[in-house]
This record gives sequence, structure tokens and C-alpha cells, in this order.
Amino acid sequence: MKYTELLKLNTELKDKVQNNPVYDITVLSNSIVNQIRPYLEFILRKEGINVNVHLGNYDNIVQDAALVQNQHLVIIFWDLCNLIDGFQYKSDLFSEESLTEIIEKTKEEIDLVFELLEKVPKVIMNRFSSIPFNNSLAKSNAFDLAKEQLNSYLNKKRDNVYYVDIDKVFSIVSISKALDFRNYYSSKALYTIEFYEAYTRFIAPVIYSVNGKGKKALILDCDNTLWDGIIGEDGMLNIKMSSKDSKGAPYEEVQSIVKVLAENGIIICLNSKNNIDDVNEVLEKHSDMILKDEHIVLKMVNWKDKVSNLKEIAAKLNIGLDSFVFVDDSDFEIELVKKYLPQVQVVKVPENRYMYPEVFRNATNSFFSTSSTREDSRRIESYKLNLKRSEARTKHSSIENYLASLELNMKIHCDDQKCAERMAQLSQKTNQFNLTTKRYTVSEIVNFITSKKWKTYVFEISDKFGDFGITGMALVEINDDVASIDTFLMSCRVIGRNLEFAFIENIISDLQKTGIKNVIANYYYTLKNAQVMTFYDEVGFICLSSISGQKKYAIKLDSFSFKNYSYIKINHERKN
Amino acid sequence: MKEKIKKIMSLVFEIPSESIEDNATIDVIENWDSLNHMNLIVALEEDFNVRFTDEDILHLLSLPKIEERIQMLTK
Repeated sequence: MKYTELLKLNTELKDKVQNNPVYDITVLSNSIVNQIRPYLEFILRKEGINVNVHLGNYDNIVQDAALVQNQHLVIIFWDLCNLIDGFQYKSDLFSEESLTEIIEKTKEEIDLVFELLEKVPKVIMNRFSSIPFNNSLAKSNAFDLAKEQLNSYLNKKRDNVYYVDIDKVFSIVSISKALDFRNYYSSKALYTIEFYEAYTRFIAPVIYSVNGKGKKALILDCDNTLWDGIIGEDGMLNIKMSSKDSKGAPYEEVQSIVKVLAENGIIICLNSKNNIDDVNEVLEKHSDMILKDEHIVLKMVNWKDKVSNLKEIAAKLNIGLDSFVFVDDSDFEIELVKKYLPQVQVVKVPENRYMYPEVFRNATNSFFSTSSTREDSRRIESYKLNLKRSEARTKHSSIENYLASLELNMKIHCDDQKCAERMAQLSQKTNQFNLTTKRYTVSEIVNFITSKKWKTYVFEISDKFGDFGITGMALVEINDDVASIDTFLMSCRVIGRNLEFAFIENIISDLQKTGIKNVIANYYYTLKNAQVMTFYDEVGFICLSSISGQKKYAIKLDSFSFKNYSYIKINHERKN
Repeated sequence: MKEKIKKIMSLVFEIPSESIEDNATIDVIENWDSLNHMNLIVALEEDFNVRFTDEDILHLLSLPKIEERIQMLTK
């Protein structure tokens, strides 16, 4: 399907599902994956689910995890190559020590994220993969080893988390079709729409299962479906279902899959035109049968048509026909069911019997995770325990502990000419975290820096893993004892660390020292900067007026209360 | 061709096709941000059967520029 066709279908489906309860999904990522949205919308809306897909901030998995606890589903793209910028090539240059440090940090982040997402009903996270950047396939490098260490860490059991083996998706699409490097170096976007289509199809059974759209019952014919041959004609001695015989081998495999499904809570029923005594005899006495009477919930073995039998099963078990998978070797029966009960998923036993196990395995993927019914009671217990644990801990403090562990270091430059070029660039390029969106050239900036009537501030940020450079600035105009904030902006790359608050508090304290009594600030709405609409309110400014997207703020400095972000270490660099 | 591009833009940005001016740019369409821009690019590539370079992607920020570039690529 073409991308634009998908978008068109999505708009039509959106109207159809709009009255259904809303299902919220958030995708968290450390790379840009926004193209997944229409594919997720499509697979859910076509099942009648009124889905709302939200995308987290780029590279803010930990911080965003604290904000998405009300979601029904969270999907996490935690790409190995972006653990730190350029990890795919830097990993081989690192000392073993720094490599271990990065891996340990990531493990801590994983724990924190899963703790924060404990109450989210379902979390889908991709296993780490090194395939996108691996040329020397024969030889393992540091990147591979990092992948293995992190993946083995993921093996820790977490009840609400499903891990996607993303390498399987790569193998379905092929690496070259799954990746597009055109947007990688500029925007950290790595995957193609072909990838997203295959990926969402891959995880669809998981999502359906938590939406009650999963399959619950497997309804099987008998002759040539559970065994080779016809019991009524060939008799007990001649039907085959054992790997001792090449004809029987596929049936042994299929029966084994069915047995595992039965043991995991899938409802197994028979729907066969036969004498019930014959079938019972096979179930009780045939030594090659893997499937036994105890695995079967309901036997509709009679001479009625199979459609009526299916309806009767649904009525007796009180479950919907749309949760049925029906398997039969006869074209006639399959077509009949398709025609009269289109909501039933049908599986035709292939003529080439060697293909049967594979076809069967693919079809029974739709039983995903309802297959843990036996564990449900235990799961509910563990939910209760988790609830108690997280009540005892405030989320706020764990995020702050996390931020503290980053060892954030902010260097504030005041009136520093060296920064002029970068400041002009920031003023011209920053759209989202920008309160007034005024654009300035280098020479204008230089004028502000040298003028006595203006104070300019920029901050450089680094943490224990690297350096982000100059990523925020403010321009302040001074009139006697009144300072007015003309520009306040920050690069999106460093959102989610409370840097903006630490920065403005430092500016305020600096202004206070120079005798300023009042500070005025403005917010000008643009199409891109809605996310900072309430920034000054959060800092503690008083909103004086709000007219058509323009908000005016003021604050008296003697009444300002500092919150002090102690986990951000601050250095001042002053050049006058 | 302009109309076809507008139709694609209207699908990607979820706005009516008629609301898109002939000289529309990234600055005047609310939903046209850097993320949606990537979606616009893949939609255009598929529907016009062209492939843009990374430089194209950075610069095709207005309807006239997009039209001009596709015309060149499909000549």
C-alpha cells in the first residue's frame, strides 16, 4: 500500500471509530521514529480501536517515561547507535572502562524507565540490534558485545513488557530496504516506511491481545488436519501422526504446537464430520497421539454443517466468533465458513503437507499472549505488589535522582563575544523552545553584547558522558531597575533536564545583584512554540495580560522564590 | 502537478487542499514541521516515483521549490 493511500484510509477509519473509547499509545525513542504513527493508527483503527498516537520528545526516553503513566500502551525504540551520539563507530575506540560505564548507565536507565512504566498495561520494547551498522559480520566488535550485554540484561522478567526481536523485522524487510541514511546524520531518523509497515504488522498481535481483539479459540477438523488419513475409512492402524513416518511427521509437529497452546490457556475444540466413537477411540488409544482428550474443551463431532457447529461453540463458550481460528483441509468447508462467518480466521491445510507446520505456526501467532492465561492470577498478584512498591516511592524524586546521576554541568557565559556567532545561529534556527522567536544577525548580537543597556546570557551544557555545547540563550534589556527579557530560547536537544529553570533562576539572581527590582517577559505564540506557552507561569512570573497569543509577564524580584536545582552544577564565565 | 502536490500535502498535514496557497512554505502551514517534512518527502517520492537527495530534503521547504524539483527529476 502506498503511503498516501494509507493516510487516506486512516482519515476514513478515523471517522468510523471516533465514538469508541480512546486508546492512548505513546512512542518513546532516542531517534526520530515519527513515521510509525500512521502505521500504528491503521492497524488499530481497522480493528475498530479509536487510537491516539503520541510521540515522545527526541532522546528523552527516561524523562518522558515519567509523564506517560496514563497511557494504555508505550512503545520504546531504544537504538543502540544513539546510546551516545555515534556509538556505532565510537564503541570500538572507547577503552573498556568507558564502554562499561556507558552500558551500566544504560542498564540503570532501563531499570528506571521500567519502574516508571510499571502501571502501564503494556510496554513494547525492541531488543537492541547491531545489524544496521555491522559490516564485519564474521567478527564481533565492541558494538556487538554492547548489544549482547544489554539484551541479556533485558531478560530480567518484567510482567508488562514485551520485547520485540527487531532483527526478525530486519530479516523480513531486508536491511537495505529497512534503513535510509539520508535523514540519519541530519535528523537521527533511521528507518524507512517499509520498515514501519513490517514492524507494526509484527507487533499487531501483541496490541490486539491487550485490546481484547486477540484470538482465544482454536477449532480443528480431525481427518487430514490432526492426522494423515481418514479414521472412518483407513482405521486406527493406518492413520499417521508420528515422525517415525514421513507422512505423519508434519502432524506430530502440528499436534505439539496445539498441545502447547492448550497448556497456555487457548481453548481447543474439534469440529469434524465423523462418528464420535471413532474420534474418541483415537484420542484415548492411539499411542502416537500427542493431543489428548484432556486438552480439548469441546468436541463437535457429528454430521452437521461446520458453520452451525462453530456458532454452537461460540454460544456454549460465550466467546465471540471473531476470536476463533478454524483449521480444515477441505476447500469446501473453508469456503463455507469464509462465506457465512467472515469474522472467523480460517487456515487451510496446504496440499503440500511439508508446508503445514509453517503455515500453522504463522496462523497461530495471532494467539499471542492470551497464551499466558495460566499466569494471569500470578500476574495480578505481582501487579498488586508493584502498586505497593511504587506508592512508597515518589516518582518526582526518582527522576531527580536520575538527573543528578547525569552530573549535569552548566557553564553560563555573560556578555561573551566569542559566542556571538552561535547565538545568532540559535536565534535563527530555534522554533520550538523559543518564547519570542525574534531572529538576529551576528552583528545585531554583537551590538547587544557590547551595549551597556543589554545583558546577554548563553549556557553550555555537558554531562558525564559528553558535551552538548552552547544550547541556550537569553537577551535582556535593562532600563534603570527594570529588566525585560527580549529573547529566551533553548535547543530541543537538551529538553527534559530542567536546564531552562536553572538557567532563568541564575539570570534572575544575576540581575538582582546588579540592582534590578522588576523583570518583564513576553511569550509570543507561533505555529511551532506552543510547548512553552506556560513556561513563565511555571517559573513563577505573574501573567499580566494574554491577548491573541501574546502574553505579558512580570515579577518583583524581592518576592521571587528560588527553587534551586542543586543537581545542576553551575559555573559562570564573565567577559565584559 | 501543483494540484497533485497539494493533495499529498493535505493528506500529510491533515488540512483541506483548498487551504494551501500556491506559494505555501513551511512557515505558514501549522503542521509542516521538521518531522512531518519527512513524511511529506516519502509521500512525494512514492506518488511521483522520484528520489530526493539529502540536500533536496533540507531545501524543499515550499510548494514552488517542490514543484520545480519534481519537474526536473521527471523530465
